[in-house]
This record gives sequence, C-alpha cells and structure tokens, in this order.
Amino acid sequence: MTRQAFIARLRDGLTGLPAQAVADIISDYETHFAEGEAAGRTEAEVAAALGDPGRLAREIRAESSLSRWKSERSPGAAAGAIAAVLGLGAIDVLILLPVLMPVIGVLFALGVASVVGMFAGGGIFVVGPFAGFPGGIAAALLAGIGVMAGSASLGAVVTLASIGLINALVWYGRLHYRLLKPALES
Amino acid sequence: MPEAIEIQLKKGALELCVLALLSPKDGYAYEIAARLADEIGMGEGTIYPLMRRLQSDGLVETYLVESSAGPPRKYYKLTEAGRASFTSQKAAWASFSGAVESILGGAQ
Repeated sequence: MTRQAFIARLRDGLTGLPAQAVADIISDYETHFAEGEAAGRTEAEVAAALGDPGRLAREIRAESSLSRWKSERSPGAAAGAIAAVLGLGAIDVLILLPVLMPVIGVLFALGVASVVGMFAGGGIFVVGPFAGFPGGIAAALLAGIGVMAGSASLGAVVTLASIGLINALVWYGRLHYRLLKPALES
Repeated sequence: MPEAIEIQLKKGALELCVLALLSPKDGYAYEIAARLADEIGMGEGTIYPLMRRLQSDGLVETYLVESSAGPPRKYYKLTEAGRASFTSQKAAWASFSGAVESILGGAQ
C-alpha cells in the first residue's frame, strides 16, 4: 500500500472525530512515513509495519468514544460507546446481541414505566382531590406522592442498571482491540 | 495458547517500556516505535494511540523540534506525574516479575 492510500483510508475511517484530533492523528502517521523513508524504508514496508489503516481507525475511534463515556455519563456518550463496541466488529459481540436485546428491552420498558408512573402520580395528586378519589382528599394527595416516589426510585434503579450494563459492554469491547495482534503475529 | 499469553504480556509491558525509554531523555515517536518494534516485536502503529492516551492522562507532554532531514519532530517528555507513574509501575513490575521468577524456578 502506498503512503497516500494508507493516509486516505485512515482519514476515511476517522470521520466523525473532532477535526483537530483527526489532523493530529494524520500528522503523526504522515511524519512516521517521512521518518521511515529518511531511514531508507519503502512506503510499502512502512505501511505493512503499521497494519491495516481501517482497523487502526476503528480502534482509535472506539477508544475515543469509550473514554468519552468514562468522563461523561450522558445518553449520547452511552450511544457512542455502544456503537463503538459494535463497530469493532467482533463476531462474539454479534452473538451476544440476542442475549442483550431482551435485557435492554426490559430496561427500556421499566424506564418508560417510571416516566408514565411519574405522570400518573402527578395526575392523582392534582386531579384526585377534585374527582372523588376513594378515601378523600388526603388519601389522594398521599397516593399521588407515593406513586411519584415509587416511579422515581424505579427510574433511579433503571439508570444504575443501564450504566452498569454499558460499563460491562465497554470492558468487553476493549478485550477486542487487535492493534497489537496482527503486528505481533506477522 | 502461548501466543495469546505473549500478546497479553507485551501489551501490559508496553506502557512501562515507553515510560522507561523516555525516562533518561526525551524522545520522538518514530525512534520509540522503532526500538520497541525491534526489541519486543511490537506493531509500529500501536505507538501513536498509546502516546495520545499517555498525553491525555497527563503522563507526557510534547514539543516540536525542527529536523535537518524531513518534517519537524514531535518530542515527548515525561511530566512529574509521568515520572511518578513510572517509578510506581517499575516497582510493581519488579515485585511481580520477581514473584513469577521464584515460582517458575521452584517448578523446574
């Protein structure tokens, strides 16, 4: 592979990272080629020693998403981390998916249930006292607060479980880095 | 699978080796990559993601130096945190490898 082809494939693979990061990474590898040539190696030799640029790009991108998840617990960062692990394309991750889907589905359903519960509890709290809630006004207010509190704690449990699940997935994904492997096996 | 074990060992030792190479004097990536590729058979492409991680963890910092032949070189320099990390990792490695050695010695 020529230097140009290597850099082009690396750049393609890095699409989606911040422009500054892409520029830094590309410049590192450009310099590496230049140093290699100065040391009397051909472009093809240097490219072979560096490994597959597509794979390299996927692992660099995965690491960037995974470390973003480490520092930022947001839904966006979570989605990025999951996409990155899937992007590593490990076959056993795909086998794991059918197992994971029901778990994710249950968590999602419980999450929706906690949101619905919040609204239902709020509804009982506001409307109940005027709509003849069985047991009177005080019972309606207490029931409303109770349902909301229950939903909030359900929501908290779902959030913790989701974070734990994604952390486990991130740990699992990191086991699949092969940056070292092809180079060591050759 | 001996190969898998070897890969895991090298992977774990890589960061320690990079810190060790930078400990006596600053170095640039190509030089570090070439030495590690020669001596422990590491893939050259591995060094850049590793250096970026060390930099974002605050263990190394970089500066550019004009080179007579070729492009300016990015030199890496250990920070205070990098030196501290090297010292503690080196001690951990010495005690671990010492323990493994003594068990291996007893097994012969």
